[in-house]
Amino acid sequence: MTDRIILTRREHKSIERQGDLVYKIFDNHFPTSDVLNEALNQARVWESGLSIPKVIEIKRSEESLTIVMEYLEGQPLDKIMDENPQEAGPLMNRLVDIQLESQSRTVRLLNPMKEKMIRQISEAPLDPTIRYDLHTRVEAMPRRFKLCHGDFNPSNVLIKSDGGYAILDWSHATQGDPAAEAARTYLLFKLLEQNDRAEAYLETYCLKAGLKRNEVNKWLPIVAGCQTLKGDQREKEFLMRWVNVFDFE
Amino acid sequence: MGDKAYPVTDDLESLEMTLERVRAAQRVLAGYEQAGVDRIFTAAAKAANRARIPLAMMAVEETGMGVMEDKVIKNHYAAEYVHNAYRNTITCGVIEENVAAGYKKIAQPMGLIAAVIPTTNPTSTVIFKILICLKTRNGIVISPHPRAKLSSVAAAKILLEAAVAAGAPQDIIGWIDKPSLELTSKVMSEADLILATGGPGMVKAAYSSGKPALGVGSGNVPVIIDESADLLLAVNSIVLSKTFDNGMICASEQAVIALESVYQEVKREFIKRGCYVFKAEELDRARQTIMVNGAVSAAIVGQKAVKIAGMAGILVPEETKILIGEVEKVDLSEEFAHEKLSPVLALYRATDFEEALEKAQRLVEDGGLGHTASLYLDAANQREKIERFTQKLRTCRILVNTPSSHGGIGDLYNFKLSPSLTLGCGTWGGNGVSENVGVKHLLNYKIVAERRENMLWFRTPSKVYMKRGSLEVALEELVNVLGKKRIFCVTDSFLYKNGHLKPLLDKLEALKVDREVFFEVEPDPTLASAQAGAARLKAFEPEAIVALGGGSAMDAAKIMWLLYERPEVDFLDLAMRFMDIRKRVFTYPKLGKKALFMAVPTTAGTGSEVTPFAVITDQTTGLKYPLADYELMPEIAVVDADLQMSAPPGLTAASGIDAAVHSLEAYASMLATPYTDALALGALELIFEHLPAAYQLGAKAPLAREKMADAATMAGMAFANAFLGICHSLAHKLGAFFHLPHGLANALLINRVMKFNASERPTKMGAFPQYGQPMALSSYARLARKLGWGGSSPEESFNNLLSRLDALKAQIGIKASIAEYGIKEDHFMAKIDGMSLAAFDDQCTGANPRYPLVAEIKAIYLEAYYGKGE
Repeated sequence: MTDRIILTRREHKSIERQGDLVYKIFDNHFPTSDVLNEALNQARVWESGLSIPKVIEIKRSEESLTIVMEYLEGQPLDKIMDENPQEAGPLMNRLVDIQLESQSRTVRLLNPMKEKMIRQISEAPLDPTIRYDLHTRVEAMPRRFKLCHGDFNPSNVLIKSDGGYAILDWSHATQGDPAAEAARTYLLFKLLEQNDRAEAYLETYCLKAGLKRNEVNKWLPIVAGCQTLKGDQREKEFLMRWVNVFDFE
Repeated sequence: MGDKAYPVTDDLESLEMTLERVRAAQRVLAGYEQAGVDRIFTAAAKAANRARIPLAMMAVEETGMGVMEDKVIKNHYAAEYVHNAYRNTITCGVIEENVAAGYKKIAQPMGLIAAVIPTTNPTSTVIFKILICLKTRNGIVISPHPRAKLSSVAAAKILLEAAVAAGAPQDIIGWIDKPSLELTSKVMSEADLILATGGPGMVKAAYSSGKPALGVGSGNVPVIIDESADLLLAVNSIVLSKTFDNGMICASEQAVIALESVYQEVKREFIKRGCYVFKAEELDRARQTIMVNGAVSAAIVGQKAVKIAGMAGILVPEETKILIGEVEKVDLSEEFAHEKLSPVLALYRATDFEEALEKAQRLVEDGGLGHTASLYLDAANQREKIERFTQKLRTCRILVNTPSSHGGIGDLYNFKLSPSLTLGCGTWGGNGVSENVGVKHLLNYKIVAERRENMLWFRTPSKVYMKRGSLEVALEELVNVLGKKRIFCVTDSFLYKNGHLKPLLDKLEALKVDREVFFEVEPDPTLASAQAGAARLKAFEPEAIVALGGGSAMDAAKIMWLLYERPEVDFLDLAMRFMDIRKRVFTYPKLGKKALFMAVPTTAGTGSEVTPFAVITDQTTGLKYPLADYELMPEIAVVDADLQMSAPPGLTAASGIDAAVHSLEAYASMLATPYTDALALGALELIFEHLPAAYQLGAKAPLAREKMADAATMAGMAFANAFLGICHSLAHKLGAFFHLPHGLANALLINRVMKFNASERPTKMGAFPQYGQPMALSSYARLARKLGWGGSSPEESFNNLLSRLDALKAQIGIKASIAEYGIKEDHFMAKIDGMSLAAFDDQCTGANPRYPLVAEIKAIYLEAYYGKGE
């Protein structure tokens, strides 16, 4: 029996590896339904045939719930990007290709993205007027049903030694408009202050997806509004500038 | 004013109560008459007018956007102009009536209107929407924007109180005090109609609510300043318009495109009037300030120029009117190319008018489809440029030499454009309406349509010559009175070879006119022979055509006439089936411009000399084209029995019985009139009396010949106007499929068709307004009685008529069944289905009093084949 290695530790959860299994351990701070939902999302996406870790089992103890899943070998793409700045272009292409491949699937039992956004905006620390405007925006956005990861960024993409890939962390997965997910990925780069990567990403994504930048832009105030649920003060100020735009009248 | 306490609507439960109260009030208002409605409308307009300043102050204070003094104008406009536009409009009850036509249009309220109100015009839009709702007896629930809820609700209260004081039901206007998407959605889903003014988000939400919605689109108004423009007028109009309410009007100018030759002058004039043109190094900062990720930054909306410049770290004079960015790109990557909802303007240069149009088009297509576009030029001398601008831009309002903020809302700079604060953008902008929304969009119209009879007419040649020897007189008149000196004669080879044309040709010789004869018409005339005749006509260029012969010669001559006069016509168009000859898709060309048409029958039967019909066969396909149009009506018919004396008995019988069937079908037709009935009856009297003698004695019975000649032409007049029925439908196809003479085919079918039509319980009655119930039996019975064959019941009279008809047929040697004419049973059965379907689709089917099913037609054919059922 090999030792358990702690891969990541956050305030209420930790991710550990033992042999070819990964243990994602949630303490009682997390509602059971959240953990089960994450496991369910992951199982559903796995069943779609996408390359992601398979859920093995769920364990309960007095103080925690654990999702046990298979361990997949590989290097996180953000690390590869950091270490190979001269390869920035091809790596960005790779990131977008992987995202588009995941978005080409439909997993009809996942939660609908727009409903989740409405809920998040209702809970976000926003002025009621802004909430009203954001709610209206969400209502008016197109209803699409493609697999969306919900936190798609290079740190959640593993590149395997054989050149294949795997996508990790499906806790935020929904079915919705791929353009919304692109808006979120763009925002995540921006929040890391990786402006060059952000612009390169969006340009590559729009080109490959055949989208106009405008179609992604329309989601930006919304994903920024949802993002205000997390993050620090500096991020909030940045997000509010994105949220505070005026709809044409 | 507006300080009464009202129940608060801030959650679903209270909203449901509000909706119920407004609905109840609307049901009461729906019963008001025009005078009462107008009193309420005027009182509400007055109250809004009086409150224009406090409401404007409140709106600016609450939203922090816009210019108080300009909002006063908007409130004032909404109250006064909207009231003025509709003060005399009838919106209750009958708004249009035509007693003679039996047509009445009644205006009815729609019910409950959901009014979504934008932050940019929170009080004027409320005034506008409430006024048009009151005028149309609709209830209204105001759904304000949370940023402007207090002012919108205050406006609603003021109008409600004034309306109630003038007699409106207590709760005719409702509102949401604490707006949320949930409550707005609820109002929209409960309403009968949504008036959605707001961002595309709100408009889309309205459209997806499942209720009919009148939405608006976003604007991105381009302005072209042509080199012919009055530049002072142009620039100062734009400054007036763009600064109005700090640029928050959706019809406000967003981009000025000035022609190269006047660009500097335009720019100088903007600067002279207090506008600030960004320096090149300031442009990027300005761009980042006005737009965030392709959307207008909320911070600049409705703000003063100095404040916006300040946000970009650019110091401009306090009183700066407009911030102008001189930019080049017109696509969305340029921040200045968007709608900016603030006193910020893009300035483009264009080398010529074409380039200016291209730029304006791009701006509209990217952000202002369906809204408004504006053009300054010398309108008196540059009409063509206005035309091109109008053609090119897909906007619903094209404004010329007009400040667009003021111009788009109507009635300020053009007095035909309806005043409105809801500007439809058509399907280009995703809207159902492209006009300025007004009261007409808030009414349901009930149309009361009473049954009226179809107009019918009676048409016949302008002259019908009759009596033996009349041909000579007619020809003299043709030449000497009508002055026709070149005459083309059409006949068939039999008549020509047997000298039947001699009297005609001798007379023409005596009259010394140029003449030519075409005698190659064959029995079932073909298109090819008509074309050959037309070629001869073209070469000869006659002033009159005289067709002498039976149906074939007259029909062929009609087609030659048509081809001679209008060689370009398409036969498929001419032959297209129609339901109503006056509503047909194809309009026949006017005939008679080159040549007058005179028809001279040599048999008593066809009636073609007085009918607008002609049948021609396409020799390549074998298809018969039955042509029908009053253009084919001869100008002159000559009924001279001398020309009919020598017709052989078989032809006399077939033609004579054809005339009888014309009369019988015209009499029972749904389009029969007293005029056609009299002719049909008169013809039948003569036929029953004189056909046997004409058949048996021929030229030895000149009186019978003359009477039969008259009868055939009278029957022709009857069916030229009342049309025929399915006996002819069936006979046409029977004749075509088995080469039976037309008159015989009719004779073999007529009794069975009459029995079929006489059913008092037909599978399907014919549809025509003057045909109220199955009438064929009573028509035939009346005919029998008028012919003197009595009967104590309609059935008995009808049977008497059938017996007389059978007797007549026997007297003139017509056999009792199709089989007896040598048509083999297996041949007949092989073709009967195709023939039945073709008969069903015959042009004559439409006038039949009973609408036949194909299977019923087949049954008639079968009976006629075996001679059963008589």
